[in-house]
Amino acid sequence: MQRLFMIITGLLCSVIIFAQEKAVTGVVLHKANHNPLAGATIAANGKMAVTDANGKFTIQASAGDLVTITHVGMKPVSIKLAGGMQNLSIELEEEEKELEQFVIIGYQAQRKKDLTGAVAVVDLAPVKNNSSGNVMQALQGRVAGLYIEKNGGSPNGTNSRILIRGSNTLGVNDPLYIIDGIPTTRPEVFQNMDPAAIASVQVLKDASAASVYGARASNGVIIVTTKNGGNTSGKVNLQFNSSIAAQSEKSVRFNMLNSVDRGRALWQASVNDKQDPAAAYGEIYAFDWNNDYNNPVLNGVTVKPFVGGDPNTPAGNTDWQDVMYKTGIVTNNSLTASVGNKNSSLEINLNYLKNTGMLRYTGYKRMSGSINAITKAFDGKASFGVNVRVANSNETLTARDIGGEQTTFLAVTLAPTIPVYQKDGETFAGASGGGYSDRNNPLHMQYLSRWDNANRLSTFGSVFAEVQPLKNLFVRSTLGADYATYLNKTILPTFTEGAFNRTTNSLALDQNKYLSYTFSNTVRYNWNINDEHNIKILAGTEYINTNLDYQYTKKEGFAIQTEEYFTLSAGTGNTYVSGGSTGNRLFSLFGRIDYNFSDKYLLAVTIRRDGSSRFGANNRFGIFPAASAGWRIDREAFMSKQKLFSELKLRAGVGRVGNQQIGDLARFGLFDTRYGTNQNQLTAGFWEQYMNIGTAYSLSGANTGTLPSGFVQTQAENPDLKWETTDEINTGIDFAILQNKIYGSFDYFSRKTTGILITPPVASALGEGQTKAVNGASKTNKGWELVIGYQGERRGDFRYDVKLNFAHFKDKITELPESVRPAYAGNLVSTIIGHSQFDIFGYKTNGIFQSQEEVNKAATQIGAGPGRIRYVDINNDGVINDLDRTWIGTTLPSLEYGLRIDLSYKQFDLSLFGSGVAGRKGFDVYTVFNNLMRSRENVGPGVFDAWTPQHTNTNIPALTLKDNNNENRTSDYFIVSTSYFKMRNIQLGYNVKAKTIFTSLRVYAMAENLFWFKSKSYQSPDPERIDLQPIPVPKTFTFGVNASF
Amino acid sequence: MNKKYITACIASATLFFGSCKKQLEYTPTGVLSSADLTSPAAVEGLVTAAYAGIGNGDMIGPIYSMWAYGSVRSDDAYKGGGGTGDVGEIDAMEHYNLVTPTMDAFVSRTWKNLFKSVSRANVALRAVDKLSEAAFPQKQSRLAELKFLRAHSYFTMKLLYKNIPIFDENATADDILKVSNDLSWEESWNKIAGDFQFAVDNLPVTQSQIGRPNKYAAQAYLAKLRLFQAYEQNATHKVTNINAARLQEVVDLCQSVISSGKYSLSADIANNFLPETENGSESVFAIQFTINDGTTAGRLNYEDGLNYPHGAPQYGCCGFHAASQNLVNAYTTNASGLPNFTTFNNSIANLNTATVDVRIDHTVGIDGHVYKYDNTKLFSNSWVRDPGVYGNFHTMRNQQLATSSSYFKNGPFMGVAKNYDIIRYAEVLLMQAEAYIELGQPDKALPLINQIRARAAASTGRLKKQDGTFASNYNMQPYPAAGWTQAYARTALQWERRLEFATEGQRFFDLVRWGMAAQVLNDYISVEKSRRTFLATAVFTAGRDEYLPIPQSEITFTKGLYKQNPNY
Repeated sequence: MQRLFMIITGLLCSVIIFAQEKAVTGVVLHKANHNPLAGATIAANGKMAVTDANGKFTIQASAGDLVTITHVGMKPVSIKLAGGMQNLSIELEEEEKELEQFVIIGYQAQRKKDLTGAVAVVDLAPVKNNSSGNVMQALQGRVAGLYIEKNGGSPNGTNSRILIRGSNTLGVNDPLYIIDGIPTTRPEVFQNMDPAAIASVQVLKDASAASVYGARASNGVIIVTTKNGGNTSGKVNLQFNSSIAAQSEKSVRFNMLNSVDRGRALWQASVNDKQDPAAAYGEIYAFDWNNDYNNPVLNGVTVKPFVGGDPNTPAGNTDWQDVMYKTGIVTNNSLTASVGNKNSSLEINLNYLKNTGMLRYTGYKRMSGSINAITKAFDGKASFGVNVRVANSNETLTARDIGGEQTTFLAVTLAPTIPVYQKDGETFAGASGGGYSDRNNPLHMQYLSRWDNANRLSTFGSVFAEVQPLKNLFVRSTLGADYATYLNKTILPTFTEGAFNRTTNSLALDQNKYLSYTFSNTVRYNWNINDEHNIKILAGTEYINTNLDYQYTKKEGFAIQTEEYFTLSAGTGNTYVSGGSTGNRLFSLFGRIDYNFSDKYLLAVTIRRDGSSRFGANNRFGIFPAASAGWRIDREAFMSKQKLFSELKLRAGVGRVGNQQIGDLARFGLFDTRYGTNQNQLTAGFWEQYMNIGTAYSLSGANTGTLPSGFVQTQAENPDLKWETTDEINTGIDFAILQNKIYGSFDYFSRKTTGILITPPVASALGEGQTKAVNGASKTNKGWELVIGYQGERRGDFRYDVKLNFAHFKDKITELPESVRPAYAGNLVSTIIGHSQFDIFGYKTNGIFQSQEEVNKAATQIGAGPGRIRYVDINNDGVINDLDRTWIGTTLPSLEYGLRIDLSYKQFDLSLFGSGVAGRKGFDVYTVFNNLMRSRENVGPGVFDAWTPQHTNTNIPALTLKDNNNENRTSDYFIVSTSYFKMRNIQLGYNVKAKTIFTSLRVYAMAENLFWFKSKSYQSPDPERIDLQPIPVPKTFTFGVNASF
Repeated sequence: MNKKYITACIASATLFFGSCKKQLEYTPTGVLSSADLTSPAAVEGLVTAAYAGIGNGDMIGPIYSMWAYGSVRSDDAYKGGGGTGDVGEIDAMEHYNLVTPTMDAFVSRTWKNLFKSVSRANVALRAVDKLSEAAFPQKQSRLAELKFLRAHSYFTMKLLYKNIPIFDENATADDILKVSNDLSWEESWNKIAGDFQFAVDNLPVTQSQIGRPNKYAAQAYLAKLRLFQAYEQNATHKVTNINAARLQEVVDLCQSVISSGKYSLSADIANNFLPETENGSESVFAIQFTINDGTTAGRLNYEDGLNYPHGAPQYGCCGFHAASQNLVNAYTTNASGLPNFTTFNNSIANLNTATVDVRIDHTVGIDGHVYKYDNTKLFSNSWVRDPGVYGNFHTMRNQQLATSSSYFKNGPFMGVAKNYDIIRYAEVLLMQAEAYIELGQPDKALPLINQIRARAAASTGRLKKQDGTFASNYNMQPYPAAGWTQAYARTALQWERRLEFATEGQRFFDLVRWGMAAQVLNDYISVEKSRRTFLATAVFTAGRDEYLPIPQSEITFTKGLYKQNPNY
């Protein structure tokens, strides 16, 4: 009743006041530097005004009016005009965006504007909805200096390569992750996180920023902080995100030949080789031709009715890609609940992701959850917190056939004449008879693997206590654990398929347990000497203890082949067991001092001393210092008059970081017993299971029974082994101009890595197990990153933002001991010095020999002939041999860039994101199957454009099944521009006006990898699909909802 | 209160720093350092591992089965498999002129595997040497065994690559990287012979464990080495002299083995090719393989694992190592039961009418003939993988039946637990015969050769079809004394070696030893390419193709220390 009265009174007043409207003048200033703000909009009672160059305005308004002042990049301010307010002075504060954020920089937080190192703060809003279930994959192209390559469209969404500022080392280039203060080198801990649970992600790019992480930081550090404490309202907030996506690889399939066309190609290749096509392929095809090798004419090819003459197996015309793939459905649901008050808060997140897989009989399921709790005591002088995240995933991925080839490869290459099923329509068919490869029906293999499962259970968390015994003195102790178990079940049932069979079934369990715990203690002191001088001091210790235990158990002989019966104790055949353990220890001391003078001059110094069990007694400890400085020019008096820059800061830093990514036992000289080991138990591969490397031998001459066994050296000792050292100089500038309309940063870096850890192969004469890890190489890496953003004008309900990022790096090996060089690409003449290990070394080609005269005139080339590829005699010695190889390309780009546009209109929002690479010349895998003939595998239609004496205007060599010219050798014939730009994500959202239940409700539709641009010379459909083994990167269409209530 | 806090913090920090050194230790588990391997038991383990080393070859880097190097490269067999592109490295070797030093399978893997085997012997030699005879009574024998094993690997390497670096257990890693491959013919053979001689001098005449070589095995192997050494080659592999003194050594060494009475020819040659009769009276030295031994698949010979019939359902894959038409023709005999030395290859032998040497059915898979002594499943042309390219014949000596307890199918390929004979007694006889002939004493060779022929002629017991008949018309007789001149004897000896060891991987090395490789093989190609068109471009180039190239990677690894073999 009272409220109604007030409203009525107010309404009456407004009518009255309206009559008293008069001109109100004022000035709008920037709160931080008190500069006048031009272009600010003043709105009052339906009237509008804009400030002039001096920030001044005049508007007609009345006392009691609500005056709203807005400006791009600034927080809007509303004031109620009181009577007598005439000459207003309004200060606008910058909107809390990039430069105002707090950034976790290692054991502590810092305002972003005080940063002196190169730190990228990742904008998480656009990656909240991503279909892969992998935050990291969603970041591809979004962060300058963070280079990510996809590992295809595997349902578990893993990445193949993550590089921060390119490649600094020759071995593992993976960054270090710090999640809520706990380090881990397992990328999956981050990749499995629900974006809704992440508060912030920072990428420490340069050594001055990362050196506080010492011996593990040289590949960069990614710091992830989870959400907690945001809700202090005392009410439960719920956030629900749900989406369903459809994935399809149809658009990136390879065009392969049908049954009859493959026969035609085989005929042409055979007659070119002067070989009767029926001799090799007569069981598959009937060739009707004139039998004249000098002037061959093909009248027709027909497919023989049965595979291998088996009447149960009618020949097919199979499109194996079509058989193997289907539309994959990804559902992703997450619920976040948070509650809290001034002293305590709690945040719980639950997430369920399911991907049915595009490749048949594959799939991925993941359940994850996390709890963050924090409570404070003694007036906030002590705080205690715990956070735990658990992720449990199950996956069935690409299977292999009995020879070890992946079904994804067979989906492209298997002969089309093999049908999927036999005549009965349900028994799987397979190759038999002459002319086929030793490969299996991939659908059958995938079906047989349908019970295979890899289970990963990951628990990651920490507890901490922080007390403030004195004002500004904080003592913090954190105990964290990274615990993961892995259980991979492989069931190999018996089967018969065409000419192939497996007669013994088996169950194998491969499991391991990983536990890394971290105990860190820090003391921080903020020493505010006076208004101008501010010093922050941090000192700490960290102890990391990591252990891995692994076991492998295999049982053969299961009487019944059902999923449930395949348990170890049900088998009656042979048993194989193996296992072991490994681990490492790391102990560190570190400190950091930040000095801030008048908010203008910033200085940071860090030092860390690391001791690692991985390194020999001679080199166990390493020291990693760094220093950086910043100058906030915009705070200088002489900048107060200019209006261009609203923010301007120069940064420079130098630092040293290390890398200890080498095996736990790399420093030891080791002997091992290998009771009957084959190479496949150490390194996977096709031939490896047929390589004996064991130490057991039947001295007695018995043919069975337990054998005496011995020892073999597996690794040579290196007591001097130490970490790699990376020294880096970074300079950068952060800026914002035109009242923050345009903002950005630029960084240039130069690094040198020395003592790179490598395990080079050695001359065989040195013998078995004589390889050892050494600090043997140096690299330099230079590059820059540029980020530019533009915040568009708000015009009514329409707003838009544009953000661009560019990054360039170029790494090269500068030093490699001669003894190590042979392990890398190169030959006696041209070494890898001056090149990256990602560069490609091979022959140069110069077209196709058109005649025997040309062959005779050219350098001697084994296998040369008309129609054959001509290789370039680089050294002009008249012979094509190893010394003619040179540098012909690289697999890493010279420029990576991303573009993001966000638009909104009323309740609609639209965001477009694309990224690409430029300056990359790499291998086009399709060329191998589209330009060259394969005797056992299917090929693409390019082979019909091959050279013949009558058809010479082509770059495809004469078809041959013998390849005497060795045209599969690495050469620039396969190297083309692999640059591309991909529209990775387009998302259209609609914000439903908040109803009673929801505080916000947004529905959206999203398309990923919708279209892309690539070089014409690149034949493969997708420039990101660089080999045939991974599942292709799909196009994905998603529908989802984001709700808060 | 505040002080307490600080004190507690400092105290805990001190505690923590104080314990850090110990906390940093990590002791590897389940592995050993060389310091752990000094007890007699551990040293025996190193010796055992050295034995295992000679069996640690693989399909694409063979070190004992010479089917690719010694059989396919000769006139005995073709690569086989699924067309010429299937395992193309062997096709390159079969064409001779396509071999390059950069081939990363066979040429470089075999080199690597052989040196692994050498290093196992050297590691064990160093360890044995440090033990006293009191602590390790078998010291002398073990030293001798290890030198035998090392010499075996070097010998194999010498046949394949000719110019190899040779060093002993005293060479450090730095030393090894200074040892080039430029030893002369005599020096290199003598170095290897030194190891065999040590073995001869120090091995017991009888070993309690049959897997270990005895004195006679060492004598037989030394004889084999001296036989190769006797045919002295110049730098471009031309045989320039036959050294009579070396031949006399061969005669004497073989005589010692023969006189020992420990060995005899098996009653049936088949006994050499079956696991049930392995380590028999004819086996002088063999590499032992096992199955159902607690390892994942068995310690199997996989080197012949591609060489099973392709189309037969019991095998499935892969049809490599197909017998040549030339070999089949060579098995035909004339009315006197002797080989058709000059006419054998004039036409394609009609096996329905021709008379043949019994050994053809121990060697070649022929349509309608008993394959591998199993008369329930006769060999069929449908078992052949690529008849248009490689013809209808297959091989069988180093294959076992799919029903054999020694047979294991692993993925698409196979392994067998049958021993691999390195020297069998038949070779001791034929080596002595060869030495006698070249020494101008052919009469002493005649009974030796006829002993081989008599055994072969009697080896028909397992070749009968179910109806009791033979698929072939056998007629083989001993050589008569009449007309047994040195020249005739030489031809007969060469023929006998070919047929006795056909497809066992000796033929190519015999041809190179005799200095006949270029002539015999180019003659072979000139006829065979009309039968098998894939050979159309094959050419054997004398002065190059007698040996494999030194792997380019090894030249690079040693910064050019090794010299490439001529003309590569």
